[in-house]
Amino acid sequence: MRESWARWARAVTVGAVGLALVAACSGKSGQASDAADGQVSLKINFWGDFGLQDLKVKYEAANPNIKIQLNSGEYNAQHEDLQKKLVAGSGAPDIAAIDEGFMVQFRSQSDKFVNLLDKGAGAYESKYLAWKWRQSLSADGKTQIGLGTDTGGLAMCYRTDLFKAAGLPTERDQVSALWPTWDRFIEVGQQYTGRTNKKFIDAGSNLFNPILGQQPVGFYDEQDRLQMEQGPKVAFDYTIRAIQAGLSANLASFQADWDKGFTSGSFAVLACPAWMLGHIKDTAPGTEGKWDIAAVPGGGGNWGGSFLTIPEQSKHVAEAYKLLEWLVQPEQQIEIFKRVGNLPSQPALYSDPAIADFKNPFFTDAPVGQIFPKMAQGLTPQYLGKKNGPTRVAVENVLIRVQNKTLKPETAWTEAVKEAEKASTS
Amino acid sequence: MSTTRAAPTPSGRHTTNGRNGHGDDMARGRSSWPDRLYRFDTRYMPYVLIAPFFLIFLVFGLFPLVFNGVIALRNYRLDDPTLTGWAGLANFRQLFGDEDFWNALYNTFGIFLLSSVPQLLLALIVASLLNRRLRAQTWWRVGVLLPYVTPIVASTMVFSVFFSRDFGMANWVLGLFGIGDREPINWRADKMHAWIAIATMVNWKWIGYNALLYLAAMQSIPRDVYEAAAVDGAGPWRQLWRITVPMIQPVIVFTVILSTIGGFQLFIEPMLFDLNAQAATGGPNGEWQTIAQLIYKVGWKDLNLGYAAAMSWALFLIILVVAGINTLLTNRLSGGRSR
Repeated sequence: MRESWARWARAVTVGAVGLALVAACSGKSGQASDAADGQVSLKINFWGDFGLQDLKVKYEAANPNIKIQLNSGEYNAQHEDLQKKLVAGSGAPDIAAIDEGFMVQFRSQSDKFVNLLDKGAGAYESKYLAWKWRQSLSADGKTQIGLGTDTGGLAMCYRTDLFKAAGLPTERDQVSALWPTWDRFIEVGQQYTGRTNKKFIDAGSNLFNPILGQQPVGFYDEQDRLQMEQGPKVAFDYTIRAIQAGLSANLASFQADWDKGFTSGSFAVLACPAWMLGHIKDTAPGTEGKWDIAAVPGGGGNWGGSFLTIPEQSKHVAEAYKLLEWLVQPEQQIEIFKRVGNLPSQPALYSDPAIADFKNPFFTDAPVGQIFPKMAQGLTPQYLGKKNGPTRVAVENVLIRVQNKTLKPETAWTEAVKEAEKASTS
Repeated sequence: MSTTRAAPTPSGRHTTNGRNGHGDDMARGRSSWPDRLYRFDTRYMPYVLIAPFFLIFLVFGLFPLVFNGVIALRNYRLDDPTLTGWAGLANFRQLFGDEDFWNALYNTFGIFLLSSVPQLLLALIVASLLNRRLRAQTWWRVGVLLPYVTPIVASTMVFSVFFSRDFGMANWVLGLFGIGDREPINWRADKMHAWIAIATMVNWKWIGYNALLYLAAMQSIPRDVYEAAAVDGAGPWRQLWRITVPMIQPVIVFTVILSTIGGFQLFIEPMLFDLNAQAATGGPNGEWQTIAQLIYKVGWKDLNLGYAAAMSWALFLIILVVAGINTLLTNRLSGGRSR
């Protein structure tokens, strides 16, 4: 008897400790305090600076029952974290920002997000750039998981002092006229490299991606079949030509050498979406007035841009949607543009004087409010397959190997096709 | 304890003095509360106290291990929710034909050799230096442990910049000796340079830690053994290999096993060494992609969790085998003949 009692006691103790542990691990802080005073706490996950600080204060003042938690993290970490929380079924924020580079991955799990069309977001379709709206739409077109906030657009940022030293024009219109096509762009690069013995562009992949973005079909067709021989081949050939001409400094974006290159002049020109301007300004404050912005060869382009989504597991869907809707309204979008330079993705705003007349003093007073919208609107929407991200990385890696001289340019295309096929089936 | 005997005699139960002296004067089932508490305290408290470890191990160790094995036998893709069900051994079969896996295994072995061997040898030498009479002894001993205290991500980020091509300090220092004058070394272009760079990070971090372990063991070696050897004319080098190493052999085996496990799970260093860390490819052509990194890539980039789980199990088995081989080798090399 005593034996069994003791065993029972032991089991209870062990169980209690176990439960305490499990409870401690799965505890959800923040949610418990909500109910007590009628307060609703909304968590927004994003990366970098979305320019939301002032808007948070404004919204909380107007809606006393709402508390907004801004949670900024590292770009990749935020997306991976969201993916894990979606699998786990809990822990995701009430509003999650998703970059277009990850959009395809999350769009294919549209059942894990609130369908914004059910909430009346369909009214906004006509206000958005057509391709932006489609990017976050599920494959069957029935679920819209996110509303666009900013869009990258694409232009070419160049160093006027380096251009001058190489005897090239420095005026932005003249520079744009210098390279209407990518063929001309490579010729200009050869002139520059020939005269200065310096590299012209930062990296092969930053040439490949804008060119690919201008092709009617990207890596994948609408049936999600790999199509290397069309768009990718065009972009790849141009890039290999530029590499063989010695134009590329072979620097990886957002790494130490690349950042240093802005000041040291390791390259004279780079593909530049709207959000890049802030990065250049922060990284190379000493180069103020030495930069200007010209058009992208070959027409429009886009690099990056984000969406706001509501994960289905959110406990406050109604409040979250109200906030999301408020954030994409013109006043707020313009406020964000003024604060961090992120370009809205609603074309009607481009004619707003706050954007249209905006000049960036760091970039020799370039009319960025004119340049980037033009590029964003000039873009033909391209279907991005489910495996677009890994495929792009695989081909970029082949380009890096050519630049590292560990792979011969002649065999590079075969290798690129092989790697892309591998990535598409991984 | 009488109660735990397999076949206690009925009389024996009450007459053996057992654990508590007053076992005789109380019949069963009539015990008082303090008595129960006392029994509980002496008999079961040790189990309760040790339970947290096993519970945590159960939740965070054993359960993931077993569940991982289950996933390894299933189709489990995050990007394709419709693909479910048992896959049998398909994931493991795929492993044998996967050149990425073999490449990662090759890299892991290469980096492991480049890091563990110099690391343990240098640690041994550092420890024997620290074992002498030195000025500011404590300062030196704490000093060698500093890299170990540094957060691994922080030190790797610094090393990553250290090994950059255009403005890295490694190339600057080598440039002083005329190496890489014409074209700076691209540490991320080929296997050899990348392996050296990563092995350097690992060595920097772990030499001090291993040295302190060795030092602790060395201090238990009696002085007179060395004195006798010195009288017989053995120099410091000979003393190190003939006396010190054989006498601290258990610790050496321990560090070899630890560094084998650590080496085969190498993740943060290769991950953050990559300029495009988010792709987790370990270089443009997988030059330094380790198995742990490949598992991460397959699981969280390719979103193929079933296959990643199979790889994890393969890694587990590989570590077991290699750690076993290393133990045998170390026993031989460090004078285990007498044992």
